[in-house]
Parts: sequence; structure tokens; C-alpha cells
Amino acid sequence: MATLTDSRKRELRRELETIVGPDAVLSDPDELLVYESDGLTLFRALADFVVFPTSTEHVSAVVKLANRERLPFVARGAGTGLSGGCLPAEGGVVISLMRMNRVLEVDYDNQLAVVEPGLVNLHLSWKVGPRGYYYAPDPSSQQACTIGGNIANNSGGPHTLKYGVTTNHVLGLQVVMPDGEIVWLGGRTRDAQGYDLAGVFVGSEGTFGIATKIVVRILKKPQAVKTVLAVFDQIDRASAAVSAVIARGLVPAAMEMIDHLTIQAVEDAFNCGYPRDADAALLIELDGLAVGMEGQLERIVEACRDAGARETRTAKSESERQLLWKGRKSAFGAYGRVSPAYMVMDGVIPRTKLPYVLSRVNEIVAAHGLRVGNVFHAGDGNLHPNILYDPRKPGEEERVVAAGAEIMKVCAEVGGSISGEHGIGLEKSDFMPFIFSAADLTLMQRLKNAFNPTGLCNPGKIFPTKKSCVEVGPVAYRPHAIEEKGLAQRF
Amino acid sequence: MSTPTHTSAPAPAGVLNLHGLSVDGVNQCVHCGLCLAYCPTFSELGTEMDSPRGRIFTIKSLAEGRMSLTDSVAQHLSLCLDCRACETVCPAGVPYGRLIEAAKVEIERQQPGALPRRLFRWLNFGLLLGHPRLLRLAAAGARLYQTSGLQQLVRRSGLVKLLPGTLPAWEALLPSVPSKAERTPPPRTTLADGPRRARVAMLTGCIQAVVFGAHNRATARVLARNGCDVLVPEGQRCCGALNAHGGDHARALAMARQTIDAFEAVAADFVIVNVSGCGAHMKAYGHLLADDPAYAERAKRFAATVRDLAEFLAQEPLRGPLQPVTMTCTYHDPCHVVHGQKIKSEPRRLLAQIPGLRLVELPESDWCCGSAGIYNLTQPEMATRLLHRKVGHVLETSAEAVVTANPGCILQIQAGLGAHQSPVRVLHLVEILDRAYGGGE
Amino acid sequence: MPGALREKLSAAVGPANVLTGIELSPYVVEGRTPDAAVFPGSIDEVAAVVGLAANEGVPVTPWGGGAAASVGMPAARAGLVLGLRRMSRLLEHEPADLTATVEAGMTMGAFQAALGGRGQWMSLDPADADRATVGGVLATNAFGPRRHLYGAARDLLIGVTVVTADGAVVRGGGKVVKNVAGYDLPKLFVGSYGTLGVIVEATVKLRPLPDHEQLQAVRFERLKDTGVAVKAIMGSDLIPSAIELLDAAAASSAGLAADTPAGGAVLVVGFDGPREQVAWQCAELARILVPLGGQQTRTLEAEAWSRLAAAPGTARPATAAVMTFSVVPSLVAETMDRGAGIARARGLHSAWAAHAGVGAVRAVLASDAAPHEPAAIATVLGEWREMARAGGGHATLAWAPLAVKSRIPVWDDPGAAGRIMQRIKSQLDPGNILNPGRFIAGI
Repeated sequence: MATLTDSRKRELRRELETIVGPDAVLSDPDELLVYESDGLTLFRALADFVVFPTSTEHVSAVVKLANRERLPFVARGAGTGLSGGCLPAEGGVVISLMRMNRVLEVDYDNQLAVVEPGLVNLHLSWKVGPRGYYYAPDPSSQQACTIGGNIANNSGGPHTLKYGVTTNHVLGLQVVMPDGEIVWLGGRTRDAQGYDLAGVFVGSEGTFGIATKIVVRILKKPQAVKTVLAVFDQIDRASAAVSAVIARGLVPAAMEMIDHLTIQAVEDAFNCGYPRDADAALLIELDGLAVGMEGQLERIVEACRDAGARETRTAKSESERQLLWKGRKSAFGAYGRVSPAYMVMDGVIPRTKLPYVLSRVNEIVAAHGLRVGNVFHAGDGNLHPNILYDPRKPGEEERVVAAGAEIMKVCAEVGGSISGEHGIGLEKSDFMPFIFSAADLTLMQRLKNAFNPTGLCNPGKIFPTKKSCVEVGPVAYRPHAIEEKGLAQRF
Repeated sequence: MSTPTHTSAPAPAGVLNLHGLSVDGVNQCVHCGLCLAYCPTFSELGTEMDSPRGRIFTIKSLAEGRMSLTDSVAQHLSLCLDCRACETVCPAGVPYGRLIEAAKVEIERQQPGALPRRLFRWLNFGLLLGHPRLLRLAAAGARLYQTSGLQQLVRRSGLVKLLPGTLPAWEALLPSVPSKAERTPPPRTTLADGPRRARVAMLTGCIQAVVFGAHNRATARVLARNGCDVLVPEGQRCCGALNAHGGDHARALAMARQTIDAFEAVAADFVIVNVSGCGAHMKAYGHLLADDPAYAERAKRFAATVRDLAEFLAQEPLRGPLQPVTMTCTYHDPCHVVHGQKIKSEPRRLLAQIPGLRLVELPESDWCCGSAGIYNLTQPEMATRLLHRKVGHVLETSAEAVVTANPGCILQIQAGLGAHQSPVRVLHLVEILDRAYGGGE
Repeated sequence: MPGALREKLSAAVGPANVLTGIELSPYVVEGRTPDAAVFPGSIDEVAAVVGLAANEGVPVTPWGGGAAASVGMPAARAGLVLGLRRMSRLLEHEPADLTATVEAGMTMGAFQAALGGRGQWMSLDPADADRATVGGVLATNAFGPRRHLYGAARDLLIGVTVVTADGAVVRGGGKVVKNVAGYDLPKLFVGSYGTLGVIVEATVKLRPLPDHEQLQAVRFERLKDTGVAVKAIMGSDLIPSAIELLDAAAASSAGLAADTPAGGAVLVVGFDGPREQVAWQCAELARILVPLGGQQTRTLEAEAWSRLAAAPGTARPATAAVMTFSVVPSLVAETMDRGAGIARARGLHSAWAAHAGVGAVRAVLASDAAPHEPAAIATVLGEWREMARAGGGHATLAWAPLAVKSRIPVWDDPGAAGRIMQRIKSQLDPGNILNPGRFIAGI
């Protein structure tokens, strides 16, 4: 991509201003610098412009302008992402959706809401809460992250265990396609016609277009909720408790693990009530009907005790419960108390492999001379090792990156995945071959070609940069198995 | 073109500072962004530069020399309300208030501005706030302006629009200054009613003393009814909070020393403050004067005795008998009470004890109303947007009165409700308590 | 079919697994006979077969149990039926991980039986479980009553292996319950009717089998009143596993309530979980429904589940067409009521059933006249479709004779999204050999 000349930049700025208005374009270097990172500061990249559309038509016009100029563009929400997914990796235009943050409609009869992408996740639950509803996907950053960003990353959260991730709650999307065309994918009904384009769009990390209206399901709040904290002197026992609960045929709404180091950080932050001397704690939540809940709770407590829990305590009030959750959900930020920077990993493994992988994680990080805090969705097997480091110390970042790659390899080796909810973005694109073959990536690239043939929409993400196998274009010839066996030949 | 890098962050090792003030706290920020949705300016604008995370990043970049203090950078930093809502939600414990104040000092140092601005600052920070007598004199002048009909003339004639810079906003907010009798300070000493609980000293404040003298007298009565010997130290002036928030560091230090001197003289158990900004600031004297060998220890000791009025009273049940105050009210949390001092449940617990009073929650009760010290004068546009938002929420509640605990909030919300011709009144918490004790003058 | 291709196919999968001639009769759809039916025994063999077909430009129709073989337009050109019945093993089941990996040709019934032996199930209950295969169910997005609580195939499929049109073996998703690495290929293949690739293996999320399950049937005098009843259930604290609504004709043919008056309806609600929760919910259900006109609440036997899944499929012997609708839940009762009226006005019979909470409505249309009058049938179907569209929904002609299909499109118009679907198809199957012409937007 050619660098824009100053005069060209001024002209384009004027053009962008005519689309979105003069107070909705940034091009001043100081202002652009503030947009150099998302929630993962390991990666930095500068845009030429940041624009703030307030309508689908604005977004479409900006995208068409970018196409005309062959400028890359990328949508950005709150910028709380943890994989560099909304960074302008190749310059161009950042399309901030923070001024499109309205709840457009709530249809309680059909238990759905139509929202704009810049709406803060939690604000939707606030909006429908008084009528007894909520929006189920609850990423830990839900107090700040936007639903548009959740769409891009197919975000999860603690309650994924019972309620599924973002994609399970999205019915339809109005999308500005990478060429600027405005299209509806899915709609208000449960099934769309033809291919499940909404399903394919969710989790495409902003490479298939920009969602400007989103139809999501809202759920009735459960009649009753019980939250238990199980405390362990050995983290392995906590891992065993996770399997023990599942083995008894119980599916809690959430089952979260918090290790010793993380407990220190969150206790420093908010005095949430986690015992500081524990090696690990499990935060387990049950929800549903009030009738019979005590019985289920007892079975969970029993499973934890049998697995070696030192103690279990049930939150006695809503405020006590909220405080435990505040600690859990603020954990990443709370690492600021114990370290100037961290890199959060996001691996997924089969639940049964938890003890093995956790010990491997600790070994790997220690071998690199670093510290790690673990706070994660144990019930889903979705690990979040947070490697702590000091970016001012020479060489630490490189060691963090190396340790991260090794951890990802371990997750892949046990049949897991390299991302459960944070996305691949820039961070993990080179790890994709750990779990996907060249053929897998080729098919993904073809799918991308169908949506984003020019590649201008959020370039540089997801696909590995080191190999040419994923370049746009016809797939290289590979012999079939039968050809190799000599059963057939190509002519 | 820039590309993502794995290179080391451009940060030198060692303590970061701006103009000699430590901003090392920026390193506690891990860029998680959990603060974003709680920042009033970010919520209004959606621009990262106007968010806590963006401002911390900016301050860090200034200290590291990655950014220079251009007009645009200064404007984004100045747009911060210093409401500290971000501190309340920050899991990393970034000392945001300290950082933004350091940044504002740096702005003043580098960009003192043109003569009228400097004159305005000197008049307010240097002269009026520091000299109670002059302030009273100015108040008398303001009252003359208002009662003589001159104010109406200026407003009607459109002359107000000719005032330079932010003065039109100043003029609109100019509180109706009460008469001299109403400005009477509380007695030097008020003895406890009933068994003695504590010996307390009261801050009467600078502007508070002039505009809301009645609140101070009510505070003394309510404290006495709750078993306090109430002393009003002589020689107290402004606590220096407005100077500190406005970037006037040197004078803020001098005022802090003077305040400590004045209160040490009466040797009270607690220093009670009924103005949120002052309370939060005085609790931070220990940090402010940490580098002053003569005052460092004294400042720490002093700060430990400072209590917000509600914080102090809510430690014990209100002493009876309490008369009914029949009204529906809602409570607005002043930023420097709820965020600056983390006091949220206390005022509500006090109100709940008053018979006949029904308290309804105010949506976004802990959001800044736009007053924020002198913010409504320096950033009238954003202040108006936030006031609009606040007034909208107040009107949603159908309350008859908004109760709060800070003169700035009272004036601001009053002005906002006035613009809507709303009959909803704005009261200081102590007015309600005083009424329950059959007080009033 | 060129003899050379047949030989190569025989070489690839073994001669016994290539059927031709009279043996093809089970694979005749709408009177069209394929060139051959091929039954590979492994993923490599599937890849080989597809690769051979791709080389020759011969169409391929993936075939599980044939349960949905007549959905959509028949292939424009004859070609190969690619049968997956030999690939029917349960490959992995780790109960503690709540996941299982299965070959696509295993029937749903066999799969559930194997899982059930270890206290778990795949929470999807489409009709015809003994015939429908896992691959077929996924490819056609089939579902049953319990979709209400447990979601559809898209919510359960976490990993998929497909053989694409160029004979490549591609894996999407994985074996873990949460995974956002790369594009969500499982979503792409669910409901794609074999037009993008042949599903050969699937990894799905499982759930523990509930301790107890119960079905409550409540009769209503008027179908119209049930809209309010369904809304009341959905707005309550109840957590039903199914909310089934059947009009009188469907209820009677499903043997649920033969005495339901014409114009009336039966609402069937399922609950599962610990026994005390099920009992509480059944009582609460009656408390909610009786004031709304619900009568004669009774408990159905467990065997009724499968009849609900199939309803109203066998409502009339002289079925002329089956249409499925996706509408918002609040319009389900109205859709059924108005739809029946539209048919009556044209002198035709209809029977209606719905998974009411998810807005999935199914109707059969029948005529006493023999042979049916395709034009009249098509007219009613067209009006039904318009009715669904007017409410923001859509309708698919799930089954009809070719004479009807030639008058009214099987699939509704997907609008601008259709162009994206066409682009996906041409990217993934540029030679257009996988089920050509069968699906939406000419795909």
C-alpha cells in the first residue's frame, strides 16, 4: 500500500467529512496514536483516518470511498479486543462504531432486540432488565465491550457453559459488505433461508463486512440463581472437581477457575471475598427454577468436596454474588496491580485434559523466566493463562511471545483450539497451522473471497502470513489420494 | 505506513514524570478498557482521546516524548471532568485523579494562554479563593448586580452575548447570591446536644460560605444533635481543591498548608466536610505534600481525620427524635463523594431513616452533572450535554426533589431544571436532615 | 455414465459398493434415476469418488438415509448418488468432555442409543430417527420439538469434516465446545443441502440425559386463543423443553386428541429435569393455561414425542404438498389459523403443526380430488408464502410433486443475500457438481 501524501490526505479528509460530518473524522497524528492498540498492547498500528459514522448509510459511503481509493478499512468498537483484531494493520481507515449505540427496538413477545453495533453489551441487559429479560452472552469485558465487537469475535463469557456463545444468540444482521452494499443476513426468525450467512458472519473477525444492525435474542431472567465458591489447596483438585461435576450429569450455568496469583490481584482491587491463601477457587453458578435448586446445589457441593475442596461457601446475598463476579470479571485488569503488562492467552482444551495442560502451562512460563496467572472458563475447557511481563525490560516481550506459542502448541496437541473467544486477529494468525491444514485454510480463504474479494476489509488478520498457501486465487494443484494410489490420473 | 510490531514499547525504564510530578501510575494501566463506558465524555463523544484509557495513554506518551502537548492534546485532556468515575471501576487501581491533575499542571505550565484567561485565573485562583474577605466583597458585588436589575438588563439586552470567551456561561450560572444575613457563618462553637460523641471541626469552605451559608449552619446543628461539639476554626480559607483541579499546583500547596495550620489549632477528633470536592482533596493532602519535609507527616495525620458529613453521620443511627419530611426524592452522587471518596450507601442510609421520605433511585446517579469544579465555565458545551442527560434522568424519576451533597452540583442541576421550568428542587442532604430535626431559620 | 468412470469408481470403493441399473430403484427421486450409487467406506474413498466425479463433471448427490431426498429440485443432470451408509461408526465419545465424534452415515437413532448407554444424548430430535443419518440431519438442518430448549443443529455442531467439490478433505471447527479459530465452517455446512461439500464426520456437543421427562397436552376450543397461551408460557418462569401446537386435523392424525373440535387446537408442552421440577412446572402450566381457555389437561406417554416430531406429516392420505414456515413466534397461531382458512377457501384441506416457541410451522395440503389439481395447489402455496413473507418470515416447499414444484419455487427469494450464497457456491464448487440446481437461488 502506498503512503498517502499530505495533500491527498487533506482531500480525503474533506471527502470523509462530507459523509460523516466535520466532527467525526480524525487525522491528527496525536489522535491517531491513541488508536494504535486495542486491549492487547503488544501490537500497534496506525491508521490514516478514524471516522465516526452514525448510520448504515454513512458506513456504506465510507466503505465505498475506501474501495475507490483502494484504502484498507477496519471496524472498531470499544477496542477491548485481545487479539489485535481491530487494528489497522495496513493503514487506511478505522471505522469506529461508538456513535452507533442505540437499542433500536425491543420485541418482548418474540424475545428479541434490534441494536446498533456500538451498543455496550451490558447496556442491553440494563435496557431489558426491568422487564425481566437479559442478553445472555457475558464476556468479562461486558461493561465496556460492544455487541458489534462481540459479533466479530463470537464472544463467549462465563455463562457460555449453559447458554452458548454470541452466535447462538444472533438471529440476523444488517451488514455493509466489503464493497459497500447493504445486505440483511438472517432476520428476525430462527431460521434464515439458504446458507446460514449470519452464522458464518459471526466470528469472521470483521473480514466479511461491517454489521450495522443486529437482531439478538433476549432471554427471560432465571427464577433463581445460586453461586458457590469452592476453595482448593491444590489446583489439580479444582480441575478434578470440574470433571466430577460434569460426570454427575450436572451442567451449571458457569464454572470458573481462579488461581492463587489472580486471587491476590482481584482481592487487592475490590476485596471480593476470595480466600487469599487458596491455591485455586472454582466459582460455580446454578440458575433456573427455584424448586429443586437446593438439591442440585448439594450435588455440586458434594462433587467438589469429593474432589478435595477445602471448603465451599454459597453467596448469601445478591451483593455478595455480584462481588464475586466483579472479581472474576475484572481479573484481567486487576493484573495491573501485580504487573505493568500481561498477555492473555485463549486456548481451549477438552475438559478432561485440564490438569495436564495447566501443569504444562506453568512449566513453560517458568522456563521462560516469567509469571503466569490463570483465570478461566473451566467448565468449557477455555483457558486464559495471563503471562505477566514488563515491556520496559529488554527481551521480555519476545519471551512472552515464545511462551505463548508453546502454550498454543500444547492446546493443539491435546485436540484443542488456539482460541475460544478472543479471536485470531493479528496475534495468532501464525498459529493457525497448529490446528488447520493447508486444505482447511484454503477453504476458509475461498469463503473470504466470496465476501471480501478485494481483501480491503480488515486485511492481515486470521490467515498466517508466513505461507503463500492462503493467497487469493485458484488453489494449487494437489494430487488426489486415488491418483497417488495409481487408481486414476489427471489429463 | 506502520505495521504491527513486536518491538519493545517505547518506554524508558525508571519513574515517569511530567514537569517533576510523578505520572508513574500510568504503568498500572493495562489498557483493558473496562473504564470506557463509565466515562461521561467518552460516552458522549465515543472518541478514545476523550476516554480515561486514552487520556492515560496520552499522559504516558507525553511523559515518554512520543507526543507533544499540541492544542488538540491539551483540549482532550482539559475535557476531562476529573469526576474519577473511571477510578471506581478500574481493576488495576490506576490513580487517575492524580495523573490528570499532573497533566493539567503541565498544560498550565506550557500553555498559560492569552491575557484574559490568565487574568481570569489570577482573579479566581490567586485572589478570590485565597482571600475570604475579597470573596465576600465580590459576593456583595454580585448580589448588587443581581438585585439592582442590572443582571436582567444585561440578559435581556443581549449584552451577555458580547462577553468574551466562556463568560456568558459564567454569567448564566452565577448563583443568586443570598443576602448578607443569610451568609452568616455558623457560630465558632456549637456544643453537643445529649451524650457527647466527638469533637469535630468544620470546614466552612470558600464559595460554600458565600453561597450556601445556610448549609453550614445546618451542618453545625445536625452535628450537634448527633452528639458533636462543633468547632469552626478561625483562619481557615479555601482548601485549594479548585486550584489543584485547575492546574494551579503551587497555590494549591500553599492553601493546603494553611488549612492544616488552621485545623491543627483546634485539635478536633475529626474534620467534617460538607462539600465533596473539598473532602476528597483534603483526604489527599498526604500525597499532595509528601515532598514537603515540614508538612509530610502532619498532612498524613490531618488527612486521616477528614470525613465527609454523610460518611461521619452514617456510622451510627441518627439520633432521634426525627420529624417526618414528607416528600419523594432522589439522590445524585457528587463525583468527589462517590468516586473521590467511595461513599455511596451512606447518604442513602441516612435518608432512609427519615420518616415520610421516599427515596427513588436516579438512573446514572453516579454520573457527573457537568459542574465538576469550574468545568461548566471552562467547557460549557460538554457541561451542558451532561447536564441535559442528568436533568433528563431526574425528570424520569418523578421525584419532587434531588438531594445531593455538593454546592457545584446544586447550582448546576438547579440551572438545568430551571431551564426546563421544572418545579423539582435541589437540596443539600444536610437541609433534609436539618428539617427532620425541626431546624430551619 | 462412461464405463471408464464406473471402473474407476469400482476400483476406488470396491465393485460391491457401486450400484447400477435396477439396484438403483431406492435412489430414484421424482422419477429420475441416477447413473450410479456409490458407497465409500472411508473419508479417503469419499474424496476419491468426489475427485473422480469432479474430473468428469458428473453431479454428486450425497445420500444419508434418503429421508430428505425429495426436498428441493431434483438434480438437473443425472449423476452419482454418494451413499454414506457404510460410514456409520461412533468414533469417539468422552462423557466427561460432553462431546462425541461420529461418522456421517450413522443414523440418529443408533447414535442416540449409543450415547444413551452412557447417560448422554445429542439434544436434537428430528423425525425419522431410524432412517435419518447424522450427516443428513446436519445437511438439512432437521430438528424436532426439543429445539425449543436445546437449539438446532447449528447450536450443537462444533466440528465437521467435509469432502469438498475438488475432493479435498477439510476440517472446520474442532473437538472442543468453544472455538473461534478461523471461520465458523460448521455453520456454513449446516443446512447447505450437500451443495458445498459432503459431510463425512461430525463432532457434536452432548448433554446429560434428563432424570425425568413429561408431556402435557391441553385442548383449546379455538386455535386463535393459543397465541395468547404460548405467549403466556414464554413470558413465565417455566422452562419447557418443547411447545408444540397442533390444529384439530394434525392432532387427530397424530392420535393426540381425536375429539378436538374443528377450529380447535392442542397445545403440547414438554418438561424435563429433576422430578420435582417437572412436577412443579406441570402444575404451573395448568395454572397459567386454564384461565386462557385451556381444557382437559392430560399427560401424554413418552412415545408421543416422535409423533410430535413428525406432525402433521401423515395427516392426510392424499397429501399434495408440504410447506414449512419460519415465522416469529408471536405469529404462529395466526399463521396456522389464516393458512387453514386460505386452503378452505380454495376447497382444499390442510393440517398444521408448529414448534410454536421457535416459530417453525409445518403444513400439509391435501385435496379430495384425484388427481390433484396442481394449479390450485400452487395457488394456495403461493398465498401461504405471501402470508409468511408479510409477517417477516418465509416458507419452503418441503415436498410436492414436480408438477407443483414447476409452478411455485421450492425456496423463497433470499433477496440480496442470494448473491452472496451464489458467490460462496462458485468459490467452493466452481464446477457445480454438488447437488446442482437443488437449492436456493439456483444453487
